[in-house]
Amino acid sequence: MSTKFNKRLLVVWLILTSMTLAYVWMDHTADHNGTLRASTVVTVSAIVIALIKVRIIFREFMEVRHAPALLCRLTDAWVVLIGVCLLGSYFVGSAVAG
Amino acid sequence: MTNLADTGSRPQQLDEKPRKFVPGQPDMWMFVLFESLLFTGYFSVYLVSRTQNESLYLQSQTDLDLRNGVFNTIALLLSSWAIARCVQASREGAYRSALINAFMTISFGLVFLVSKVFEWVKQIHMGNTFTSNEFFQHYFFLTSIHCIHLLIGFIVLGIVVYQLWSPARRSQQLVETCATYWHTVDFLWVLIFALLYVVR
Amino acid sequence: MSLPKMKTTEPLTMPHPPTGSWVSRLVWNFRHHPKRELWFAWWVMVIFYQLYGVLFFFVTRVQPPPSPAWDTPTVVRWFDDHGFGILAGFGVVFLVAGMCAPMNALLAYSMRRMSVSRLFAYSYLIIYSLAAVPGMLVMAIAMTVGALRPERDPEIIQWLYDFAFLSFSGTMGVFLIGSLVWMVAILLDKNRVFPKWFGYLNLCNALTEVVVAPAWMFQRGAFAWNGAIAWWINMVVFVLYTGVFLTLLRRMIQREDFGIGPLPNLPGKHVAVLSDSVGAAS
Repeated sequence: MSTKFNKRLLVVWLILTSMTLAYVWMDHTADHNGTLRASTVVTVSAIVIALIKVRIIFREFMEVRHAPALLCRLTDAWVVLIGVCLLGSYFVGSAVAG
Repeated sequence: MTNLADTGSRPQQLDEKPRKFVPGQPDMWMFVLFESLLFTGYFSVYLVSRTQNESLYLQSQTDLDLRNGVFNTIALLLSSWAIARCVQASREGAYRSALINAFMTISFGLVFLVSKVFEWVKQIHMGNTFTSNEFFQHYFFLTSIHCIHLLIGFIVLGIVVYQLWSPARRSQQLVETCATYWHTVDFLWVLIFALLYVVR
Repeated sequence: MSLPKMKTTEPLTMPHPPTGSWVSRLVWNFRHHPKRELWFAWWVMVIFYQLYGVLFFFVTRVQPPPSPAWDTPTVVRWFDDHGFGILAGFGVVFLVAGMCAPMNALLAYSMRRMSVSRLFAYSYLIIYSLAAVPGMLVMAIAMTVGALRPERDPEIIQWLYDFAFLSFSGTMGVFLIGSLVWMVAILLDKNRVFPKWFGYLNLCNALTEVVVAPAWMFQRGAFAWNGAIAWWINMVVFVLYTGVFLTLLRRMIQREDFGIGPLPNLPGKHVAVLSDSVGAAS
């Protein structure tokens, strides 16, 4: 039984790490010959991937999966709230900058 | 909603429906949620000021090494994995295994800390300091305040070790509470890494 | 002077106020209510914070703070606009500064009621007695000196301006340590005087005070003394924190039984989840 839990944790870690490595791939494809360019797609994907990782950490590492519904919903709401704030700041800021 | 006494001390049977429990003190969860909101505030300020000055931020970002950020993230993800294993081991009464995992968590945390300090030194040698420009203001601020949380995390992990060491203590709730804090340090870094190193 | 002996663990039975006109009940409460000093201190605290808010934000209008990036003529003009408000408002601040004493005493009292060493209460008291100087008085003095003679050399007025705002924002170290002392006391406490989440909120507050430190280095941007991070976000956390501890202190006074064991809950409240303190056995 404990091996079942251990395996699950390892799989979770592998998923999180591969998502992290996905950033390296994004970086390579987004930057041409070493110069960085502004890109909404990269920004939004980076933020969304980070939020997915945060949710996975909440549910698996922090054991929210086994928590009462209130905590599940609260942490999900938090992920959404953080997403809205981050993406909102980015888009509103971009609009203001013109 | 919450169990009053020992949470999750009984190992679950495979065929039994898993009992719902709040991991650790609900108080720590309140802290986690509040602190993440606070950091979101800081991130929002960063993103807004970034959009007002994109070229400066892009230019400064070239000085950051993505691989460093990836290394840091993986180190913290490993530490989170270790403390999660520690909590489960402790729940099953395998205290020796739990202690080993707790020490592993501390080690990975130290790897992160050392790597971060090296990165700061490298940046300073390149001429990028806290007062250099707006991007580096945010870079040093976010990484420093995160580091302060990490250092507090070492104290918290110390409490985990202290609890697990002697059979006279071993409060499962306290171990879970401390683990919750450590995971927060991890997920905050996940966000910081995406915003400072990857976002264009 | 010998320390007063703590009362025995027997909870106090409340003597009954006489029924009758509210005047006679008020007089009786004033003379006989066992918690009158505590309530007095609490009301002083509430009134002080309201006054502080009104005086700093509306009368003197030094908060939200103006920019450190302004040139000298702008600063002189600001003093001209705010001159009367500054003199009147800070005049009142000087009068009521003494209200800090019962406030800090109540906070230290809350730590005395805890199961932890008395050292916490005494350290807190000392730190916060000093805190009123940079936290309020230095700014008040510098601003009133600046506003007193509008015909003064503009360079000196700019100097007073910087001195006032930097001392107000930049000396957060005192409050930081005070918050940490209170936090540790709450987390170690076995008498459940405050809930553990309030201990963690102290940590949040302490960290936002660290965040103000860069104000010494910047004249513009998010970390200047009027910046989005160093002031605005900080202020939101501080106002929330103050509201929370005012409420929790009120609850503490209501629950107070003058014993030395765990503080009883209010009648009708559910029993809080037992949170272990740091050194607890399971």
